[in-house]
This record gives sequence, C-alpha cells and structure tokens, in this order.
Amino acid sequence: MIMIMLFVLFSSAFLTLLSKKYIVSIAGIAFAFASMLFMSLTPDMQVFYFSGWVAPLGITWAMDRMSLLMGVLVTGVALACAVFSARYVSHDKNKYYTLLCLLTIGLMGISLTGDIFNLYVFMEITSIASYALIAFPMKKMSVEGSIKYLIIGSLSSSVILIGIIMLYGLTGTLNMADLATKVSATPEFLAILGVIIAGLATKAALVPLHFWLPDAYSIAPSPISAMLFSVIKGASIYMTMRVVFTIFGLGGVMWVFIIFGVITMIVGGFMALLQNDIKRLLGYSSISQTGYIFVAIGTGTLLGISGGIFHMINNVLLKSMLFLCFGIVIWHTGTRKMDKLGGLGKQMPWVAFCFAVGALSIAGLPPFSGFASKWVIYVATWEISPVLTAISVIMSAITLAYFLKAFSCIFLGQGEKKVVKKTPVLMLAPVLILTAIILVIGIFPETFFSISQQAAGDLLNQAQYIKAVLGVV
Amino acid sequence: MLEIYVTFVAMVAISIYCIACKSNLIKKLLGLGILTDAIHLLIISTTFRDKGIAPILTPENVNLFSSFSVDPLPQALVLTSIVINLSTTALALALAVAAYRRFKTLDTEKMRTLGG
Repeated sequence: MIMIMLFVLFSSAFLTLLSKKYIVSIAGIAFAFASMLFMSLTPDMQVFYFSGWVAPLGITWAMDRMSLLMGVLVTGVALACAVFSARYVSHDKNKYYTLLCLLTIGLMGISLTGDIFNLYVFMEITSIASYALIAFPMKKMSVEGSIKYLIIGSLSSSVILIGIIMLYGLTGTLNMADLATKVSATPEFLAILGVIIAGLATKAALVPLHFWLPDAYSIAPSPISAMLFSVIKGASIYMTMRVVFTIFGLGGVMWVFIIFGVITMIVGGFMALLQNDIKRLLGYSSISQTGYIFVAIGTGTLLGISGGIFHMINNVLLKSMLFLCFGIVIWHTGTRKMDKLGGLGKQMPWVAFCFAVGALSIAGLPPFSGFASKWVIYVATWEISPVLTAISVIMSAITLAYFLKAFSCIFLGQGEKKVVKKTPVLMLAPVLILTAIILVIGIFPETFFSISQQAAGDLLNQAQYIKAVLGVV
Repeated sequence: MLEIYVTFVAMVAISIYCIACKSNLIKKLLGLGILTDAIHLLIISTTFRDKGIAPILTPENVNLFSSFSVDPLPQALVLTSIVINLSTTALALALAVAAYRRFKTLDTEKMRTLGG
C-alpha cells in the first residue's frame, strides 16, 4: 500500500513535469489522500519494512494513529491547495505542481516514518521544495524571502542533524523504537535532546527564533502560504512531539515548553495587532497559536497533549482556510495592504462568511471548533497553574481583537478596490469545504476530541510502539 | 580523536562567523557549505577505529572482523547528506543569481524590500 502510494506520488510529480498536464499531480495527491483515509480505518498500528529488512536494520515506516492523523491532514490540505492553485497560478503550472507533489511527499514521509535519519531526509525534501515554491513568482520580494528562509532553514536542519548524529554515536541505532529502548534520562541524552529541540523550535518558529517566519512565509503565493503556515508548521510540532514522547518518553510538566510557549503566545499576539499587511497578520497569529500548542505539550498530561493535538488539527484547517480566503481577496484586488481594502463584504459574501467563521473559531468563541480545543487547553493548564489559564484567555481576547480589525478593514466600510471578475468555482470550492469541516468540528467536538485523545494515547504509549516495531517488549 | 573534534568546532565557528557577520550572499552560502562539511566530519568520526578494515566478512578475517571492522552506516549517511547538501547549494546559488539580476548587488544589507 505504502509502496504504491509513494510510487504514484513520485511518478505523478515527474509526469507533470514531462507531460505539462497539471491535472496528473492533483490526481496523485487525491490518490494519496484517499489511501491515507483508507489506512486510518485500521485501528492497529501498521509497520512497513522497506525491502524486507526487519527493524532495527533497515528503514522502517511505523504508523500509529498520530502518524495517520498527520498524514490525513497533510494530504487533505495539500489537495485543497492543489485544487485552489489550478486557477490561481498563471504561469509554469507544470513546474509548480511538480514542486507541490514533492512537498506533499516530504510531509507524508515526515508523518509516517519510524526512522530518525529518514525523518531528516524527508524534512530536507520538504524544505527544498518549499524554498523553491516561495521563490516561485520570481519577484524581488519572493527571492529575498526565499533566500532568508533557505539560510535559516539549512542552519536549523544542520543543528538537527548534529543532534541525530550524536544520538547515533551514543546508541548505535537510528530506528525510533530501538532508540526508545536505549535512551535514558541521563545528562548527555538530555543535552542531545536540547540540541534537537533547538533545531525543531527554529523550524516551528518559537519566540525568540521566530524572526524569519513572517518575512519568508507570507511572501509565498497564497496557496503555498496556506501550506507553509498550516501543515509545515504542524509537521515541525509533530516532529517535536515524536522526539520528546516516543523516543525520549518524557513525562510530567516540562517548564521549558510552557515558558517558551507563553512568550510565543504573547509576542505573536501583540505583533499581530500592529500589522497592516494581511498575510503578515495571519503569520503572527499563527506564531501565537503555536504558543498554545507548546503550552499544551508542556503540561505532559494525556489531557493536555490531546488538547494540543486537537488545537493543531483546528489550527491546520483554520489557517489553510483563512489563507485561501485571503488568496481570493488578493487575486481580485492585487493588494495585501489592509488600508487599501474595504467594502468587499457585499461583493463576495461567501468569502466574507468563511472568513468570519474562521476568525471567530480561531479566537475561541463557543459554538465554533476553536473553542473546544482551547477549552481543553484551559482545563489542562488549570491543573498546572491558574496563571497560565488566565494568560491563555487574555490572549484569546487579543486574537479576537486583531481578527475583528482585519475583518472590518477588508469586508466592511468603503474601499477603492472593486471586484470585477467572478470568483472561479475551483477557488471557492476548497474554501467552502474547509469551512464546512470546521463547522462540523464545532458542532460535534466530542468525536474529534476522542480522535485526538486516541492519537495522544498512542503517542504516549511507548511500549506499544516498541512492541509493534521490534516485535518484543 | 581530539584533533577531529577540535577541527569540527573550529569549522563550525568559521561557518557561524561567515553566516552571521558577512553581508555578501555568496560568503554566507560558503559558510553553510563549511557547516555541512563539519557535520560530515563529525558523522565519519563517530565510528572511527584505529587500523580499521572494511566490514566484509571473509574466511580469512574472522578473527579481525569483530575488533577492527568499521561500521559502514555513517558512510551511507554522509553520502545521503552530501546529496541533500548538493541540491540545497544548487538551489541557493540559482536564487543568488536571480537575486543579483533583480537587485544588481549581492549585498544582503541592500536587499531589504520586506518589513523585518
């Protein structure tokens, strides 16, 4: 199954380049999404040994529910962005879709792999594809943003590689399950964990390592911004959780994550209030939401981690939906400055509706999906310290403030820009489908909470992971 | 072994200096190259063995095998890492050419169209 899926994705990437038919790529990504959904129907953990080399010798792909959840999210968002791009991208479509396919392959590999060096390789595939996609419009700004991202991205990858090599030097294995049996909480291993986490935190843009993110990510074409801010950030958070919980098996309150999470939450929220560029506003908002997830991970309890995963699901869906909304606005008006926009609500009511749903949801208002996940985080942090809960609630209010500001600037009032073209169905459909999913999560939060709880349970159950991969306890 | 670690630390220091203090884009990219090569040195040194032999088991070297054969995995890792580094560098140089055509300079201080 895995081999077929990888083969289909790789071949569709190259067929797109050769045949110049971008529909091949969309079909490939759709196939990957379908097979991920199919695989996630099986409740047991699935392990795949490449070319029959049994763990810990060869490369292993190990899929518990957490991996499959990430896989479904990644391929789903990639599919939405691929459909959206069909009308958004105007030139060199075949090259664009080849890169998009490679990006999807990299992200899927990150989600499913059970080998830490393999994780690094797929991380680099993702990064290289995203450097190229950020520079894709080949304007002054996009080249500059891409170079910035390239330098920071390569630095953080190198730091992660140093950590992986030190781990190999101490244990002599690269398989995650085998590592989990050999790693203990001695000072040298904790130092290595620190090195790896420093690299991953740069990729996930925790404050104070966030400075590059708004420049690099918001400059990309809108569908790519949607992927960068949602699933690529999600993938870095996922890698952090894998390393911390599956390999190192840490438990209890982790104050490092909580402190940096709170700083990230506050700085991201206040910087978002100051922005005039709509994509930079969303960028800082995304930094702030990452802070919530890291605080939830830092609690170290099952409840907190499942809240973090739930918030990650919400954040991935919401951020991709909001960026695609902005993509439509930018496609029509050609500007990203909020002071030049206005009064678009009457001209594109559907986009305004979707944006309103997204904004209210991410601010954590009751009937929407963001409320459910934030509520879980509030309850989990209350057990650690009520101060944390108070900060989270206040930052939610600030989130609401800057989203209301953005909403009124873009969709209400009077503006000089007029919409002349009709919004293509291919652009509107992914946004509407994502909004529908968000509304469904808001109405039935228990179902989705139990999914993330199962994922968190699998993540914390180190013994089960080791047993499934190595065959012994 | 100590020489290798000293070289590693020195190379990392040089590369960080190149990336952080030089404003020329090509020099920054050279710094990235030096950093990756330093890591390759570290990878190879993890399984360094004095008087090591290739890990091929033949009837003649059964006795030597366990005490002198070298772990082949880091060499495979270095090869993979070199390939990744090659593609990153190629892309970075292509972007540098594109940046030079658009900004008419390679000075990163002067490439500031973005906010931050």
